[in-house]
Amino acid sequence: MAHPSDNYLTHTRGIKSWLLTLDHKRIGIMYLVTILGAFLLAGIFALLIRTELLTPGQTIVTADTYNRLFTLHGAIMIFLFVIPGIPSALGNFVLPLQLGAKDVAFPRLNLFSYYLFVFGAALMVLSIIVGGVDTGWTFYTPYSTDKARAGVIPVLTGVFLLGFSSIFTGLNFIVSIHKLRAPGMGWFRMPLFLWGLYATAIMQILATPVLGITLLLLIVERVLGVGIFDPGLGGDPVLFQHFFWFYSHPAVYIMVLPAMGVISELVSVHSHKHIFSYKMIAWSSVAIAVFSFFVWGHHMFVSGQSAMANMIFSALTFSVAIPTAVKVFNWLATMFRGAITLTTPMCYAVAFLSLFAIGGLTGMFLGSLATNVHVTDTYFVVAHFHFTMVPVGVAFIGGLYHWWPKITGRMYSEKWGRIGCAVFVAGFYVTFVTQFIMGTHGMPRRSYHYLPEFTALHQMSSAGALAMATGLFIAAGTFIHSLVKGLPAAANPWGGASFEWQCPSPPPHDNFTETPPAGDPYDMSDWEYHPEIRGYVRKT
Amino acid sequence: MKRPARAQRRTRPFAKAPSLSPAEMQRRTEMALLGMKVFLISLSILFTASLAGYLAVRARAAQWPPAGAPPLPKGLWASTIILLLSSGAMQRALAEARNAGSSHLRAWLATTLALGAAFLVSQVWNWRVLIAQQMTMRSSLYALTFYCLTALHGLHVIGGLVGLSLVLSRAFRGLYSPAFHLGVRLMAIYWHFLDVVWLVLFAAMFLMA
Repeated sequence: MAHPSDNYLTHTRGIKSWLLTLDHKRIGIMYLVTILGAFLLAGIFALLIRTELLTPGQTIVTADTYNRLFTLHGAIMIFLFVIPGIPSALGNFVLPLQLGAKDVAFPRLNLFSYYLFVFGAALMVLSIIVGGVDTGWTFYTPYSTDKARAGVIPVLTGVFLLGFSSIFTGLNFIVSIHKLRAPGMGWFRMPLFLWGLYATAIMQILATPVLGITLLLLIVERVLGVGIFDPGLGGDPVLFQHFFWFYSHPAVYIMVLPAMGVISELVSVHSHKHIFSYKMIAWSSVAIAVFSFFVWGHHMFVSGQSAMANMIFSALTFSVAIPTAVKVFNWLATMFRGAITLTTPMCYAVAFLSLFAIGGLTGMFLGSLATNVHVTDTYFVVAHFHFTMVPVGVAFIGGLYHWWPKITGRMYSEKWGRIGCAVFVAGFYVTFVTQFIMGTHGMPRRSYHYLPEFTALHQMSSAGALAMATGLFIAAGTFIHSLVKGLPAAANPWGGASFEWQCPSPPPHDNFTETPPAGDPYDMSDWEYHPEIRGYVRKT
Repeated sequence: MKRPARAQRRTRPFAKAPSLSPAEMQRRTEMALLGMKVFLISLSILFTASLAGYLAVRARAAQWPPAGAPPLPKGLWASTIILLLSSGAMQRALAEARNAGSSHLRAWLATTLALGAAFLVSQVWNWRVLIAQQMTMRSSLYALTFYCLTALHGLHVIGGLVGLSLVLSRAFRGLYSPAFHLGVRLMAIYWHFLDVVWLVLFAAMFLMA
């Protein structure tokens, strides 16, 4: 029963049936493989950075190479892992299932968007490596307008294509959520993961075009040598920062909101309790999406914008904390007196809460003008950034464990899953808490060299990074082990009530033979555990 | 065995409507219309951001247009009128598509296509007028912003002409009916959008000069 002979994996065979597939599940898997490859690559660059920082001065690479390494690490992590990870890989797989639909609204566009992604990714990575681009992932002018950096144009073209891919995926999700909900599934009966994806998609279509135009202007400036951003030619470098952050601040929430959606699912399902205050979580996603468009100036407190602008952006920045805190408290309230099972996905969910709370709170430090000026461009910012972005990766891995039985039809080792999570999170704290300390003591970011008194802290941070890598390798091991030797998974191994648990694992090609009745996606009281199939079955 | 599969794959989801149930047709129509609207929202952000950049550059300039730069050519009026006419033609095409027993759909689509091409010719003519007066992209930000904004809009018009050609070829193959002419509807929405964008750009760059 757990392995029906015909599922989406066996429905058709051959490499062509994958490369030209219109099935959202297969496209999701192709994204997953591509994105995990990018994650591995960016992780290797992170380790090289941390190795270089073991001693002051040159350890393994020159200053120039170091600049390229952190550019590669940042650009690949952001554009190829954190932004697309949850929406494109998990979202593509899960969204139609949770809607009770056969596929997304525009399957062809979905495949097209995947190939745009692959092409853009390849162009970006190759040209950073070949062209030796060392601008950092933000492409700040005047670094990016400097003629000596030859590879900038192809890199920008690559990012431009990635932006297109992101817009088309967002468009597809918006139309799918509007038009393909199962009969009876009102807006407030959608699983919260879909709310997260919906808010993200809105931001993708509204913010990404601004990045597109910024990159185009940068290309025009480089090709023609006219000054849009270069003050030597009459341009304004701060204009670039305004444009860039008008996209990239919402982009931070393009990264975080899907993660929050995943956490809502994990916390409720693995606490076996109805999500606390569904509507507040849904609306807070929308509120975050709206607020995120009005806070970009907090990246530019020291750029010379007016004191009035600084104060306004600072005040608006604090407002983002409100909907974020609403979510965190709702998750805690969901767990309160729940029947929590510390499955691997739940471990990652708890890790998310602990890391993201610190990330959010240090965001308040940085939103305060006085503190911000003191720690601008130090490791404090680097640590804060990683305390908000790594939780997205944590949610991604947690979500991957959560939906793994659905995706592959196999279970994984809970024991090793938990160990991997614990090692990773412990390593994370060691890596980045030390960076908070260094930042407050004035250690500047983006430098391969440092004063000798920072040596011990840097070495601790590097040791932590090694532990993070170990944790991730253990996680990768559980996935590979599961593919080879995993026990067959039941249709509903966790007892979730949303639609994706009501089709077999792995799902058939068309997802559902008949659409299940739409109900409350968090009312799990109808499902009871049957140990013989290691899964839940609806009470009869 | 292979043939039906291939034939099925080549079926355009919206064109070969008869194979779909009315409810499914309705659903796909709604999805496509919403998809087009979402796409246009995204595009309008692209143009709004470009316009904001233009206005920011202009606000910083000491003098606009800079001393010695030629004024924008009067030929922009011709472009504007041509594009407005093409929008009218597109609207007539849509009305013809809705009208049972009409044979004018192709004629109006072809007219729209021709006027769209004429618009591009007129724009290139305007560029040539400026280049003849030694105003190139590199001369000043005034020149650069003008060329960039018109080029950005022009590229979207070229995209529209590609779409129009597809719609026209389908019209020649008789794939549209009063009950089902989604392609014409989508095209009309996009075309009118480009018209509005041009009017805004024209007003900002030419009328506000």
